[in-house]
Amino acid sequence: MSAADAPTTSKPFFRRTKSCPFKGENAPAIDWKDIKTLSRYISERGKMVPSRITNVSQKNQRELAKAVKRARYMAMLPYVRHDADNQR
Amino acid sequence: MPYYETVFIARQDLTDAQVKDLTDGYSKIITAAGGKIHKVENWGLRTLAYRINKNRRGHYVLIESDVAAPAIHEVERTMRLNEDILRYMSIREDELSKGPSVVMDKSSKDTGEGREDRKPYSKREAA
Repeated sequence: MSAADAPTTSKPFFRRTKSCPFKGENAPAIDWKDIKTLSRYISERGKMVPSRITNVSQKNQRELAKAVKRARYMAMLPYVRHDADNQR
Repeated sequence: MPYYETVFIARQDLTDAQVKDLTDGYSKIITAAGGKIHKVENWGLRTLAYRINKNRRGHYVLIESDVAAPAIHEVERTMRLNEDILRYMSIREDELSKGPSVVMDKSSKDTGEGREDRKPYSKREAA
């Protein structure tokens, strides 16, 4: 994946020391109904993005996963986004 | 008593009046069991992210209640038997939510891609 196509010294999507986006006072609550927030943590295909990329803490990543799965079950988020929706 | 959040999706062919009747029926089951209904929200006809039983859209309704579990079981049982309900989900909540839910606040479409500004997650995704 990323190791194969990036030069060895730099990591293209490595963000330094950014804290968990759900930490702190102004952080949005993780709600399965809040698909605007949730859609920031799923990829273009509809897959969930790992926390090493988004810098979400472990606990919040688990809650996020639960919320995304609930939203998918209730058809607010897709399980898979097909190529027609992809932006190139 | 615990708080429950119940959401169901009704078939797109139903009229608003029929959806209201469904909602009232379930509310009645809850209040008959001694529960309190905190919030009823009709999110209206929304586009589903994928087809459910060949339907592309559905009426979403949210009911938040404070009731004992058997009432929710009964509500779910009736939902299961009803052909017009495509999906339902009941979640137990620890605390009551305040104000209208996020879905009602937004006037714009929610299905936007939040990750447009970022690089694609992986080479496979970009391709």
